[in-house]
Amino acid sequence: MAIARKPDLTIKLVRHWSARTDPVVLAAIGIGIILAFLALYPTAMLFYGSVSDAPLGVPGHLTLAYYRAAYGDPNTYRMIGNSFVFAAGAAAISLVVAGLLAWITVRTDAPGRALFELVAVVPNVLPPLLTATAWVLLLSPRIGLINVVAQRVGLPPFNVYSMPGMIFVEGLILAPLAYLIVSAALRSMDPSLEEAARVAGSHPLQAARRVTTPMIRPALLAAGLLNFVRALESFDTPSIIAIPARIEVFTTKVAREALTAYPPNHNLAATYAMSLLGIAMVLVYVYRRLTARTERFVTISGRGYRPHAIELGPWQYVASAGAILLLALIVLLPFCVLLLTSLLPFYSVPTWETVRQLTLKHYAFLLTSDRVARALRISTMLAVAGATLGMLLASAVAYLTVRTRVAGRGVLELLTFIPWAFPGTALAIGLLWGYVRLPVPIYATVWILLIAYVTRFLPYGLRAMTSTMVQVHTDLEEASRVCGAGLLHTFRRVLFPLLRPGFMAGWAILATIFMREFSTSLFLYTPRSEPVGPLLYHLWIDGLHGRMAALGVVVSLVSVVLVAGARRASRTQIAD
Amino acid sequence: MRDSISRALLAGIAGVMLLALAAPAAQGQADLVGVAKREGRVVVYGSMESDVFAVIQKIFEGQYGIPVDYFRASSNGVMDRVLTESRAGKPLYDAVLTNRSPMMILKTQGVFGRYVSPSYGSYPSATRDPDDVLSPSYRQVVVSILYNTRLVKAEDAPKSLADLLDPKWKGKIVMPDPNVHTTTAVWLANLESVMGAQYRPFVERLAGQVTLAESFLPVVQKVIVGEFPLGITYVKYVYIFGNEGAPLDYVRLNPVLAEAHHVAISAKAPHPNAARLFVDVFTSRLGLLALAKAGEFVLVPGVYPSIKDAEKLRIVLMDDLSEQELKQFRDQVGSLFLKR
Repeated sequence: MAIARKPDLTIKLVRHWSARTDPVVLAAIGIGIILAFLALYPTAMLFYGSVSDAPLGVPGHLTLAYYRAAYGDPNTYRMIGNSFVFAAGAAAISLVVAGLLAWITVRTDAPGRALFELVAVVPNVLPPLLTATAWVLLLSPRIGLINVVAQRVGLPPFNVYSMPGMIFVEGLILAPLAYLIVSAALRSMDPSLEEAARVAGSHPLQAARRVTTPMIRPALLAAGLLNFVRALESFDTPSIIAIPARIEVFTTKVAREALTAYPPNHNLAATYAMSLLGIAMVLVYVYRRLTARTERFVTISGRGYRPHAIELGPWQYVASAGAILLLALIVLLPFCVLLLTSLLPFYSVPTWETVRQLTLKHYAFLLTSDRVARALRISTMLAVAGATLGMLLASAVAYLTVRTRVAGRGVLELLTFIPWAFPGTALAIGLLWGYVRLPVPIYATVWILLIAYVTRFLPYGLRAMTSTMVQVHTDLEEASRVCGAGLLHTFRRVLFPLLRPGFMAGWAILATIFMREFSTSLFLYTPRSEPVGPLLYHLWIDGLHGRMAALGVVVSLVSVVLVAGARRASRTQIAD
Repeated sequence: MRDSISRALLAGIAGVMLLALAAPAAQGQADLVGVAKREGRVVVYGSMESDVFAVIQKIFEGQYGIPVDYFRASSNGVMDRVLTESRAGKPLYDAVLTNRSPMMILKTQGVFGRYVSPSYGSYPSATRDPDDVLSPSYRQVVVSILYNTRLVKAEDAPKSLADLLDPKWKGKIVMPDPNVHTTTAVWLANLESVMGAQYRPFVERLAGQVTLAESFLPVVQKVIVGEFPLGITYVKYVYIFGNEGAPLDYVRLNPVLAEAHHVAISAKAPHPNAARLFVDVFTSRLGLLALAKAGEFVLVPGVYPSIKDAEKLRIVLMDDLSEQELKQFRDQVGSLFLKR
């Protein structure tokens, strides 16, 4: 569908800029160098590891032995197949849940939507390990709370230890990230098209399906792609569900053969990681093909941009009920399990006796522990600084890839995706191999964590920015230019305010992830710079689940404050 | 078993040698303390639970005022980190403590230096490392069958490993997956010498009886919440979680297998003297008593963790598996546990 007129002028405008002034080209080169370093350095290290017969730091010879071991085994392909089913299912569930929730909270007048929006990002804060465990406590065949209730009313129990169980849980874990991307796109959408559909006699749901969905397709595709790759490389849910279910996926195979071998075989892990890189690159290519004609999705133009909500009439309560149901799945149920765990000496299936056992001692521990205070301080710093740096970089990349015709701009986008393709552990190995060799003292400092976070999670920031930037028509910039404003001025006064929802949504995603990131951190932190993620993990492996849950609750609150701040910043600007 | 020794024997020998423990060589010690204090701190990488470690840390810091930075990871994580830093030429650790199999691999890789602490003299000589690299076993982590006392009465609980094969327990036992959890692989491999000819049929049938989890901790969690009535995991959890009121008890297997844990000093320790001083305190009688109080089995005669019948157990230390043996085990036995 041709929503807006093809912006021929972009090309002229940009040619005009890049020919006469160098900033665009210079910026592209500068950012290209930064990205190339961030992405390619650890990747090159991983690649080198996959073809070297010696571990890091030991001189070795080139070999293809690891490739033969990894890809000569027919099981590898069966497990990649299992992983594809798992990842596709989980990404699909995450999109459906996130899409519905985003539409209700952003585009309709459903009561309570502001609160829903805030609640929807809470699970982003919870470590996936925790959410998966919470779902086992809810859906285990024998003791799962939901199953216990289901059986009382005569329904058969749902066995979480199965492929559908795994897909369901991972889908819910991934939903909040998809929600942040999709809701940012919806927030920047020109609602007049929906209104046109309504005027033409469409039911709100029809309008949502036929008009809204195609308009936010880049965001949906981006969220689906990111979540697919993430599910493919996820080990948290498989470790909790696939191992008991005896379902083998790609990551459990890598864990078995490479990471838990004695001693761990990083070279083989790197070799396995290379196939994930290949898969992710194909997906990025497909994504770019599908969104190549970006003008199809331009929805914010110079004509009366003012988003406002769809009036659902009596249906608004149905919409609210739907949102509450979805939120119950992705937040409320797992969060309740977390809260209960944080208030009990040890978790048990709640009975009347449970009430007598309630205790605040785990929270008391948080207050008195220096280690907790230090971790919260470090992680908050990493979240704020990392998210800000990450989003500035993402904005520049998004601008160059969407707005300009600078040669090699596609490469920039590809570069951000490369680290994303690796599981956190593999990327950490690459970073470790890379930064431990640098003469600059980065290894074993908090800086390597900052670099790791930005490197790994930049695609989330970029997606939030790109899907918003794609929707903003160039005629607004053009007008600014015609009126004599310079590039920076136009960016600051025209583009940035319009892009602010995307920027802040990306910032919120990054900040909440950085607040509790652990799989990469675990390899790179030192005892004196321990952030929250590793601390949560250690409380977990020490069996101190009450303390871990209490810290989880506190981190959730900190993150809600961060997200609320981000949202406020994005709203203020729209009101302007 | 190559170097496994029964606890009773160890206790006997230890009793004789323990007298020497109390007084460290006074002059050398004073010098060591002075230099160690000037080094400023000591960095320890280990798989010991942070709470248990904190007990020793407090004793050490209280005695010498030298701060301890403790990096806690899984045993695999510790080994991984130590190897990576050593190979990269940036070893940041002074001392390493974890279970026997990874410690043996690290020793073979040459990351440790030699050190004989004055306190080693009081350990049974059979537990001493002939190469003077690893400490004697400072704790033994005992593996058995734990059960949820709300779901299983003591008289109905299994009495032996063979009882696990009873059809009534099918699908009601949880244990770590030996394909991803190495200590479980080591434990299963060591059962061969305990069970003899019964071994192969036992593991084949056990694989069909159990549900798998990632490691010992998720196992005990699943037993505590009642998801599974029985689990194969560490006996010390009976003490740790029992203290919080968890309904747990364990099967008194005879013998019961345990994995030895050791400590060693880095060959290139940034704070070598502080590390030595730390190992002295850690492996001293004072250190071991503190560990026992925190629920650990230690080699001090007459000292037991506060777990019922701990003193009656006949503990056999497990042999470690080499890299090759582990791979072979996973191919031959581990694969049984992957079948659905």
